[in-house]
Amino acid sequence: MSLEEFKNRNIGKQNYVKLDLEHTPQTPLGRFSRVVRRTLKGELFVGLYVTLREMINALFRGEMHTVKYPLEKLPISPRYRAIHDMLRLLESGHYRCIGCGLCEKICISNCIRMDTRYDENQRKEVSEYTINFGRCIFCGYCAEVCPELAIVHGGRYETASEQRASFSIFEDMLTPVDALKQQKEYDGFGAVSPNADENIKKTPLAY
Amino acid sequence: MEVTVLPEVTWLGVVIKAVIILAIISAIAGFGTYLERKVLAFMQRRLGPMHVGPYGLLQILADGIKLFTKEDIVPQNANKLIFQVAPAITAATAFIALSAVPVFPDFTIPEFIPLLGGTFVPSMAADLNIGVLFILGMMAAGLYGPLLAGMAQANKWGILGSARTAIQFLSYEVVTGLSILAPIMLVGSLSLIEFNDYQAGGIGSWMMWQQPVALILFLIAGFAETNRTPFDLLEHEAEVVSGYATEYSGMRWGMFFIGEYANMITISVLAAVIFAGGYNDLGFLAGWFVIILKIAFFFFLMLWVRAAWPHVRPDQLMWLCWKVLMPIAVINVVITGFVMMA
Amino acid sequence: MYEQIAFYLFSALTVGLFMVTVLSKNILYSMTSLAAGMVLISGFFFLLGADFLGVVQLIVYVGAVMALYAFAMMFFDATRDIKEKNTSSALVFLLGGMAALLLVVVFAAPIMGENIQASYPVIEGVGNAESVGMVLFTKYLVPFEVAAVMLLVAMIAGIILAGKKMDHSLTTVDDPINVQEETK
Repeated sequence: MSLEEFKNRNIGKQNYVKLDLEHTPQTPLGRFSRVVRRTLKGELFVGLYVTLREMINALFRGEMHTVKYPLEKLPISPRYRAIHDMLRLLESGHYRCIGCGLCEKICISNCIRMDTRYDENQRKEVSEYTINFGRCIFCGYCAEVCPELAIVHGGRYETASEQRASFSIFEDMLTPVDALKQQKEYDGFGAVSPNADENIKKTPLAY
Repeated sequence: MEVTVLPEVTWLGVVIKAVIILAIISAIAGFGTYLERKVLAFMQRRLGPMHVGPYGLLQILADGIKLFTKEDIVPQNANKLIFQVAPAITAATAFIALSAVPVFPDFTIPEFIPLLGGTFVPSMAADLNIGVLFILGMMAAGLYGPLLAGMAQANKWGILGSARTAIQFLSYEVVTGLSILAPIMLVGSLSLIEFNDYQAGGIGSWMMWQQPVALILFLIAGFAETNRTPFDLLEHEAEVVSGYATEYSGMRWGMFFIGEYANMITISVLAAVIFAGGYNDLGFLAGWFVIILKIAFFFFLMLWVRAAWPHVRPDQLMWLCWKVLMPIAVINVVITGFVMMA
Repeated sequence: MYEQIAFYLFSALTVGLFMVTVLSKNILYSMTSLAAGMVLISGFFFLLGADFLGVVQLIVYVGAVMALYAFAMMFFDATRDIKEKNTSSALVFLLGGMAALLLVVVFAAPIMGENIQASYPVIEGVGNAESVGMVLFTKYLVPFEVAAVMLLVAMIAGIILAGKKMDHSLTTVDDPINVQEETK
């Protein structure tokens, strides 16, 4: 079903099947016949068949669901809000932050703290910038409010560390100068994850 | 029938056999836990244990180290002696039952080995001529383990678990006995070797074609007696936390586990020998290989069923036993008797 | 030699265990020692070469004691000692001693009177189960059948006693959803 068809589908006329929840029979004969019917229906063997089919699919047809996590990782959506990245200007390599302080103002958990001063060119310079990740709720307001697209949410979701300070300093979040080529722009709020097509599947209810 | 003269069975041979059973079956029982986790994982499209050793093969070792080094806690108000003895009952009876099961073929230890050379090791440690009954009786006695464990630990879940043990055992013992009675009538003996010889004529002579009802009943009752999934009421997590094993930790809990898996192996061997042709040669396949295949199949069946089927309620269990299985078993015995007399 | 050692071992263990059964105030100890004693008694049968009877002893008494456990579970707290209420211990000792003496006399009488002779000697080449069956279906046929009838009577009585509410099962009660539909 294409997206157009999917949007225009007629919800009222689908082939819903009402489950046949039969009433418990009242007569002994009715009960007996139900037992016989249910026993000989073979539903138990359908269950056995389904599990065996899944096993064969998993083992021989490569339909194993497990992702060996530390060794292989699924791509995450660009909209995912993980540890922040501070981006640099592509031309000069200077960091984009202009020290306007909007992110500090908007932060609802008060975890961003920044200090600025004028440098020798009378340009605002960030002298101190920290995010307290013990308090950050990753709401994304700072990235949304930033006029220069300087602070964005990156893809670093493995946030275990020996010290909180390990990734809360400005220099740690800043793109390294030599990795400027790999710096990625934020795709925008409607962006889909790179493997979005693979994730569209039929609901696995019908056996 | 051709009679082969076997060497005399000495006490040394029996002792060696007992040691072999203890060592190998407890190793296989440990390996069974690995197999169960793997098979269940595959059926749910997971990988199962993967990280300890190649394909997780050394997982048993890791589990063993964990169980051995864990603290052995005895709850404060528990009856200490009974609490400590109960797991040993489960494990010991499981192995005693295996002593009357022909697990591996006869062999003689080669002469060049010092001390033990030339000793004849029999296929079963105790060659009883009532083997089937002895095994069933010992497996029944094994249920004292859960029963005592549950009652000794001063825990309501434990009491519920042991109450369930009592009803489950008392009911399904009847079905096991009656279902196996029809094959016993056909063979006219209680010895497992006689059962094996009765089915020597290839696949067509297997007992399961003559007694399909008995096979199904025996498997159902066997699942109940080994406490496997459709009937795992004794320790069902969703209802009674862990039942009789709630307060157990470390190696004592591990002994329950080993006992359960040894019992699974025993039931698999019984089903293979009584109903599926035993260790007779099948075409070009040697007997020992055939029986291992059969045992593996029945073992796999238990895991398969666990992955596929939901478990039943206690009242459904009782209903199934007394109102369905037992009448069918009795009718089966009566019909078998009539056919034999006619 | 081995048999004698085994016999005395089993005897000592059995007597000791049954002593525990009688003397212990803890229901769990009593029941467990009773079960263990019953299992050890089957050892005597194995020693005498009566494998079949030994296994039957094992199966029957394992089940029977398990039923006793079920009662113990219902009536007692298994982890506490039981307070016994003895009005007169002299009477208990007297009656117990009398019963024990009577049993000894009953069992010892044939030994005193004449040497024991097996009225049904073991037939060579006949298995255990067969020889039990032969005796059971020839000389003891009537008691056997009477016992069967008695068990049947007991079973029917049990079903009638327990079966008053048998028709009312929670399994057969409809789900509330269905019931609501019906009333509409």
